[in-house]
Amino acid sequence: MTATAIPNAPAPKRNVDNALTTGQLPRLFELYSLIAALAIGAGILALLGFNIVGWIVISAIVYLLIVGIVSGAVENRRKAVDRIVRGIVVLAFLLAIAPLLSTLIDVVSRGYKDAFDMAFVFKTGGTHFDPNTLKVTTTMGAWQAIIGTLEITGIATVISVPIGILTSIYLVEYGRPAHWMNRTVTFLVDVMTGIPSIVAGLFAFSLFTLIVGPKAFSGLSAAIALCVLMIPIVVRSSEEMLKLVSMDLREASYALGVTKFVTITRIVLPTAIAGLITGVMLAIARVIGETAPIFIAASFTSNYNANPVSGAMETLPVMAYTGYKFPGTDIQASYDSAWGAAFLLVILVVILNLIARLVARLFAPKGMR
Amino acid sequence: MTETTAAFPQSAGGSGSSGQRPGATPAARRIVAKARPSDRIFRFLSVGSATLIMVILAGVALFLIIKAAPAIAADWHTGDLAQGTTAGHADFWTYTAPLVWGTLWSSIIGLVMGAPVAVGIALFISHYAPRQLAGVLGYLVDLLAAVPSIIFGLWGIFTIRPFLLPFEHWLNAHAGWFPLFAGNASSTGSTIFAGSVVLAVMILPIITSITREIFLQTPRLHEEAALALGATKWETVRLAVFPYARSGMLSAILLGLGRALGETMAIALIMSPALVFSLKLFTDNANSQTIAANIALNFPESNDLQREALIGTGLMLFVISLIVNFAARFIIGRTGSTGGGKSKKAKALPPTDATSMLALDDAGSPLQALHPHASSAHPEGLKPSQPEGRE
Amino acid sequence: MKLKNVAAVGTLALATAIALSACSGNSSDNNSSGGSSDSTSPSASAPSVDSSLTGTITAGGSSAQANAQQAWTAAFTAQAAGVKINYDKSQGSGGGVTNWLGGSYDFAGTDSALSSDQFTQAQQTCGADGGIDIPVYLSGVAIIYKLSGVSKLNLDATTIAQIFAGKITTWNDPAIAKLNSGASLPSTPITVVRRSDGSGTTANFTTYLSQADPTDWTFEAGTAWPTIPGDKSSGQQGGSGVVNTVQAGNGTIGYADQSSIGDATMASVEVGTGGTFVDYSAAGATAAFEAAAQDASQGADDLTKKLDYTKITDASSYPIPLLSYDVVCKTFKDATQGKLTKAYLSYITGAQGQQIAEKNAGAAALPDSTISEIAKSLADLK
Repeated sequence: MTATAIPNAPAPKRNVDNALTTGQLPRLFELYSLIAALAIGAGILALLGFNIVGWIVISAIVYLLIVGIVSGAVENRRKAVDRIVRGIVVLAFLLAIAPLLSTLIDVVSRGYKDAFDMAFVFKTGGTHFDPNTLKVTTTMGAWQAIIGTLEITGIATVISVPIGILTSIYLVEYGRPAHWMNRTVTFLVDVMTGIPSIVAGLFAFSLFTLIVGPKAFSGLSAAIALCVLMIPIVVRSSEEMLKLVSMDLREASYALGVTKFVTITRIVLPTAIAGLITGVMLAIARVIGETAPIFIAASFTSNYNANPVSGAMETLPVMAYTGYKFPGTDIQASYDSAWGAAFLLVILVVILNLIARLVARLFAPKGMR
Repeated sequence: MTETTAAFPQSAGGSGSSGQRPGATPAARRIVAKARPSDRIFRFLSVGSATLIMVILAGVALFLIIKAAPAIAADWHTGDLAQGTTAGHADFWTYTAPLVWGTLWSSIIGLVMGAPVAVGIALFISHYAPRQLAGVLGYLVDLLAAVPSIIFGLWGIFTIRPFLLPFEHWLNAHAGWFPLFAGNASSTGSTIFAGSVVLAVMILPIITSITREIFLQTPRLHEEAALALGATKWETVRLAVFPYARSGMLSAILLGLGRALGETMAIALIMSPALVFSLKLFTDNANSQTIAANIALNFPESNDLQREALIGTGLMLFVISLIVNFAARFIIGRTGSTGGGKSKKAKALPPTDATSMLALDDAGSPLQALHPHASSAHPEGLKPSQPEGRE
Repeated sequence: MKLKNVAAVGTLALATAIALSACSGNSSDNNSSGGSSDSTSPSASAPSVDSSLTGTITAGGSSAQANAQQAWTAAFTAQAAGVKINYDKSQGSGGGVTNWLGGSYDFAGTDSALSSDQFTQAQQTCGADGGIDIPVYLSGVAIIYKLSGVSKLNLDATTIAQIFAGKITTWNDPAIAKLNSGASLPSTPITVVRRSDGSGTTANFTTYLSQADPTDWTFEAGTAWPTIPGDKSSGQQGGSGVVNTVQAGNGTIGYADQSSIGDATMASVEVGTGGTFVDYSAAGATAAFEAAAQDASQGADDLTKKLDYTKITDASSYPIPLLSYDVVCKTFKDATQGKLTKAYLSYITGAQGQQIAEKNAGAAALPDSTISEIAKSLADLK
């Protein structure tokens, strides 16, 4: 019957199974197989010596085998492949989620002590010097780093996101693919993804040395370094997202006599907003964790400095890096502050992400996900 | 079944009228829209941004070349370059070559481990996971993109290195004849393998977030059409989702690769480096160093000329990412626009009832019209239909 | 190579001669300028800080002296509240000197004195007077190890050189057993852990090895770990990386600035050849520096010291001292900045400053003779 839908389709070469007539496995078949696989895995390892990683690996293989063979025998090949792929996809997910969770657990368990301490979060680190005993006591604080992170990343975002999105609009909406400028920009964006971050830092610092003289350390020059890293990510991801906006929508808009500018801003961008924001958040996440360009371009300080135009600034990743690599005399306290800074950074990004999602929801057209 | 067949002409007509079929374009092109000030300003802005990118990049490239030139031209047998980290190399190229290899090697291992898993997760989130769970998972993955590389480095030192060590020893002992597993098994775990595993984890969120968004953008109609024809979930994904998302997936993977190539701190913290050409994964003394990590490790203690040599290696990283991107675009261009690859795939399919229709359809079949992957992935397909008529 | 050494020694001798004559010539106006410029001029005997000072000092470089700099900054700013000091420890010695030569820093911390090239370059940055090296921080390189069941380990220079060169590969090697007669050493293989990044600690340590046992350590001394044929050592980033890896393993041995080792176990190192094994102590480092420091001045007021490790034989001294300098322009373009930097450097190299470093950063105080030399040099700073 389906063959009639395509008049010129070749006739089936052999009798094929029909999904409606072949056998069907019980609904919870996959669950049963999983239990069986875990049991067999445990059995095999009981002979070899038990360890949890081996158990999971062997069980996974056994599971895929059971599902494939049983489904292939009872149902048909296509269903077997489908079930195996489903198993692999879930497995890929579990495989990936394990290290990711482990990272998060590490960050949270090692960092919560400092990150949940208000004196650490909202105070600049300080020292107390006792002239009688000559003892210096250090208190850790992350406030200067939080301010530094927000300012430097903020400036970088404000500069790169418009440039990046406008460029991708140029690439998708205005430029012709064969035009030299379109090709050059695509090519250059590709190249820009390969700039080592430390080189970006050096570039920005050299640029600012030319402009403001040798003592060019500032949050702004670090922000420029981050821009160099951020722009290609924004362009790349937004370009993909804009390409995915269905032509039908654009054409419907043009057909109604809507101008190109309005079509782009009212139809294309809102349709792609979720993807655009994902791309921007990825770019922010990528640069907010940079260390090398920050300490090249903004130097290092543990003092509070909220002026991005002059003076050294510290960011949370720099704090984490220096806390680990150059621990103070109290090594444990330094490590704690490093993990605390890392945890704060993750929290910061979570907040930014939430805001971004909210923005996306506000602007997304109704009926979208 | 009659319902299904009836639906086809309708949707085919819908997309046919949008002018993606060659026949419709000449008519659309003749319409010239009136340009308004807002249009012009906007166009100016976007062209301006594109130009600005060219200027920035020209600046960076110029900076790199000017800074690197003295070290590339210098005599490496005497003076500053004969001391410290650059000692013992005949010239710039013998110094850089192992670094280039190490960069590619660690990224390739990372990508081989990371990219399929990343696409798998994206697929799980977009197509397999229950809806509510998918939102949470998507969020979790986004969150992990935010973990700074320094943290991945620390995590690598404290968690991954000891975790992988028994596995590395086991493979080294039992499969040591295999070149990748050969060599003196590491006793500290600071191997290129540990570094690459961390790289794989780092690029996961990047690839996953982008591919997930792209998978979710697959037109629902395509998928429903496939499902309605009796395709299994996997067949739907393979026939409706993957072709649609191919260009985007490649972009995502390239972005991930870009991150892996340029990753500095994690590799620098985890791996015990050597300037060698080596395939070995599990040793302390034969891990090919990467360019970015080498810069980070040696930059602080280097003097002027050595720094210039390091910037020169940075220039090479630049060139590598250029070549990699170029190659990738070439490959996607080859497999994407010509129909050859696709028809081969179609033949490999079991000629079963529903899929045979899905896969073996020819250009004239309704599904092809419904299936604009060629046009959406390749802008040349969309351009002619735009009512511009300028330039 | 030999030729180069001869030439180096020649220039060194010449430089020393010039420096000595220059010093004697300068000493008279030292006193006058020191006395007149400001009455509270800090010196070894008067450690207080002029509380009316204001401004910001931007500096950076060597991470070895980072903790000391932090303590000094705390002490200095506690007495002169209007001063801000940013010491960027992430730059490293090379970065510090580069930034200083580029004019970005008021002073730079570095683990090795300016090279002759850099010394000439400094005249472009600072003007005709150029820059000077001031020793500020003294510590020691500790040999740390982790070997279950062994909590006390004696090593001499030859054994250390052979272990780090990969010639001794197990812990129960007769050479080690001979030095540790009481201990029961397991047959665990030795894992050498070293720095993967360029480092002043590596430079000090490899210089020590090449001087103390030139037959086993035939490799070049420098900031980078040399290429050793058949090397199986594991490279780690930063002193903290070495310390962590040594502690995480078993049968591991490494080296690090003793102020950064935390609770890792240190080996006792033989001093001289008399069979005396000493642990690190601040007093030991000071004594070692006093014995080993050779004047290698490159110009007037410059206090470059060359450490001759073979001269450290006294049982009270620790055989592997580590020295770090601050480099500074003799004449600042901005006089107020010069005054501020001079006040700070005078404070940190004064007796109180050195005590603060010893108490808070695990450093050893510079010997009194060096402290007064520094005070004399700094008095010429403008």
